[in-house]
Amino acid sequence: MKKWIAGAAMALTAMSGAAFADGHGDYPERPLLLMVSYGAGGATDFQARIVTMTAGNEDALGMPIAILNRPGAGGRVGWNWFATEAEADGYTLGAYNIPHFIAQSIEGGVEYSTESFEPIANWGADPAVFVVPTDSGFQSMADVVAYATENPGGLTFSGAGLFVGHHIAALQLEQAAGVELAYIPNNAGGAGAMRAVIAGEVLGGVNNLSDAFRAQEAGNVRILGVFDLERNDFLPDVPTMIEQGYDIDNASVNFRGVMVPAGTPQEVIDHLAAIVPTMFENGRVASRMEAGGSPMHIMTRDEVLEMWAARQETLEALLADLDN
Amino acid sequence: MTDLPRTQHIIASGLIAAVGVTVAYISFTQEPAQAYLFPRMISSVFAVLAIWTFGKALLGRTKVGNGLSAEAMKNMLPGLIVMLVYVFWAAKALGFYTATTIAVFIVISLYDPAPHGAAKTWIKRIAITAGFMAVMYGLFALLLNVFTPREVFF
Amino acid sequence: MDFIFYMGDVFTPVNFALLLLGTVGGLILGATPGLSPTMAVALLIPFTFQLEPQQGLILLGAAYTSTVAGGAVSAILLKIPGAPANIATTLDGHTMALNGQGAKALQVSFLASAVGGIFGVLLLIFLTPVLAQWALAFGPSHLFWLAILGVTVIGTLDSSSVVKGLLSGCIGLWLATIGFDDIMGAQRFIFHSSLSGGINVIPALIGLFAIPQVITMLTKGRKDSGAEVITVQRHPIGAAFREVFSRLRALSIGTAVGSIIGLIPGVGGQIAGLVAYDQSKKFSSESEKFGKGHPEGVIAAESANNAMVGPSLVPLLTLSIPGSPTAAVLLGGLLIHGIFPGPDLFMNYPAVAWTFIDSMLIGQILMCIFGLFIAGLAAKVARVPHAVMAAIVLALAVFGSYSVQNSMGDVYVMATLGLAMYFLERFGFSAAPLVLGLILGPIAEANFIQGSMIANATVGLGPYFFTGALNWLLIAIVVVSIGYSVWMELRQRRYTTKDDAVAKEESLT
Repeated sequence: MKKWIAGAAMALTAMSGAAFADGHGDYPERPLLLMVSYGAGGATDFQARIVTMTAGNEDALGMPIAILNRPGAGGRVGWNWFATEAEADGYTLGAYNIPHFIAQSIEGGVEYSTESFEPIANWGADPAVFVVPTDSGFQSMADVVAYATENPGGLTFSGAGLFVGHHIAALQLEQAAGVELAYIPNNAGGAGAMRAVIAGEVLGGVNNLSDAFRAQEAGNVRILGVFDLERNDFLPDVPTMIEQGYDIDNASVNFRGVMVPAGTPQEVIDHLAAIVPTMFENGRVASRMEAGGSPMHIMTRDEVLEMWAARQETLEALLADLDN
Repeated sequence: MTDLPRTQHIIASGLIAAVGVTVAYISFTQEPAQAYLFPRMISSVFAVLAIWTFGKALLGRTKVGNGLSAEAMKNMLPGLIVMLVYVFWAAKALGFYTATTIAVFIVISLYDPAPHGAAKTWIKRIAITAGFMAVMYGLFALLLNVFTPREVFF
Repeated sequence: MDFIFYMGDVFTPVNFALLLLGTVGGLILGATPGLSPTMAVALLIPFTFQLEPQQGLILLGAAYTSTVAGGAVSAILLKIPGAPANIATTLDGHTMALNGQGAKALQVSFLASAVGGIFGVLLLIFLTPVLAQWALAFGPSHLFWLAILGVTVIGTLDSSSVVKGLLSGCIGLWLATIGFDDIMGAQRFIFHSSLSGGINVIPALIGLFAIPQVITMLTKGRKDSGAEVITVQRHPIGAAFREVFSRLRALSIGTAVGSIIGLIPGVGGQIAGLVAYDQSKKFSSESEKFGKGHPEGVIAAESANNAMVGPSLVPLLTLSIPGSPTAAVLLGGLLIHGIFPGPDLFMNYPAVAWTFIDSMLIGQILMCIFGLFIAGLAAKVARVPHAVMAAIVLALAVFGSYSVQNSMGDVYVMATLGLAMYFLERFGFSAAPLVLGLILGPIAEANFIQGSMIANATVGLGPYFFTGALNWLLIAIVVVSIGYSVWMELRQRRYTTKDDAVAKEESLT
């Protein structure tokens, strides 16, 4: 009998809870979910776990955020689910990766675009870098391009998949250096792509700065260049692509942040947009991110909206050029 | 009745052969070709093996598999219906815990050999259901923090 | 001998309490259908935020060790493997349980797990630098051949008919291609929106094994056949010790195969048990007993899947590359404390690294002790009436497959595959090869495509897939494996009649 009473009580609370959510009086009044479209342990998942760990604090959301992994096909599986099936009630958040989902939506075959999501805040920016094995003969990007010029289409290099940041960086490199390269997308994501480089299966690779930084510290790879406008604090000695004479901007930099599905009530979006950036600024979060070698870059909702629009334009131009 | 398994074998392997051929047809007609390269390789083998099995069944030379007896089908039917309603409708529509409580209770009641007349039987069935649901709630909701659909009830 | 120096750290009160907690919790989570080791470890990560790095890793290491072994409990008693690693355990383990030897099967399985597990951790301690090179040796072409080797096991696995075994495997391989393809991102065979994310292995595993069991229990109807589903004979632990150590061949094949295959990133853990089972069947003088409740089957499978635990951490600890999803989660657990795994991990953080490894060593022994205790309770599980068991397993299957990705789609996929599998089983198909196909499909496909992309850019397809000692070694094993299966099939045909096959089927269901 007790069970029934308890069940009835719980049902009542659930229903009254739903009523509150409609009025947004006490939002959030139960734990939230954050969907990550990459596997547990990957860079996005790992960072998402750190930046959300203080969500339960009274001065933050007051409710914990649980991570939900929906990996597959370079993030398409997760974002498709988020755009079509996730409930726009403010309790289901998603992690975005720019340029990944925008490039995929331009390429087609998916059910989302920038219209499907509402950004809340950005927590990190992880530039792509070019890595080679430690015993490789390549000492600079000029060596790499020289090899590719001699062997058109013969320079194999790995990356995390098609139409993700690494692929965009690879396309930009091909375009800027005017060479043909053999980009090998890896099914096991950034970690798999890095393994291929270390094992010498490919001559080089594009990878996340945070992961490459660790691999370089461990003495497994050498980083030849950063696909960003400025040098990175983690790697002050590594020149950017522009410094090495290739006209490559920051279109491939992997911006990570939190979003909700389009159709989420405006009050909820405003509430989240006000609180989530302060959550990222928490000192404990910053020190953990620093320790994990993950560059932070906090942006508010308005800044992210602007950045999305800018990326949409750049990527449309870049991918249109490729089709010709 | 000896022919029942043979007829069943023909129907079963026929269905599988149909699936195999359909899969092969889809693989060879869809684009982009590179994405379907692997499915083409598999589905060819799939279709050949499925047709072979179908042929063997037609000739009555199937060696393994006992098919289904009428009694087994009659026995499983009520439970199967509860299961289908529970999984494909109730779990989502009523909420996980409500639907599971009802489904567990019905399945236990339907298949428990104890007499339906005695009050003691029903108390036992309710106790088992309640105890099990308490464990499930503790494990999934409290310990593992899984948020299950709760919709109408819970 | 640093690992002995830091052994004391494992036994401080807090650390040892965490070790116990991780072990017992891991066993219970592992034994629950639908909770894979990866999930169990991922779920523990938030707890480690509050702990010291050393303590957090002890908890994670112990949980990893014991969830893998815990999966054997439901595999043996219910024929529902807790994780892909335990599939091979169902083949003989559940048959033993049906023959009344449930307690013996569990004891043997935990003892074999501990032997394999300890060996694996010792390898990790002493041979890490050598093993790291081996882990890197496997490129796309080798992984492709390895997947093909796995496929050759399919035909002879748990099926009285080779053709139907292969057909089951093909169905699995095809199911694996549903959804987005991992490299090109094209959508394939999506007939229903639940399938758009592809078929996740864990819900599929639950459905394919649990639902047929539920329906089989239902077919018994409302018969008053006594409360007991199966009897469990008492079995002294001493006898289990003698049993395990008298079957040295299965034990050593299982341990060796598990250690070697477990090392290979991305593939190892899932198929180590099945490959070890297949190999010890082929090398055994009593190979005809396999599949009919032979303890060697359980020993090989369980020693292999625990032997893989230690070596699977080698790529993570030396190269900072997680070799399995669980290792990836452990990497997160390390990074969160600012510890970068790499060659100098043992120099920079010896107290953390060695205590972690030591705790896995002690964890294996604790896991074995608790496991033997659980084996004593097997009789109680078996005494649950079939009506109650059917209801409980059904509910666990639904909750378990939902909680993998919080997805109703996964529940629908689980139930649909399970229903189909029940009927397929009635017609001589079996679930183990189908799941093996489902696991190997993506590995074979992705590595074939990656390999051919590299090959086309460099040396060409033929030389890429057919040169190098490792390629030829794997090809040779594939050929031998197929040849052996064909030979066995021909030899058996002479005296296998329809009645024999039917008798075997009856004993299985």
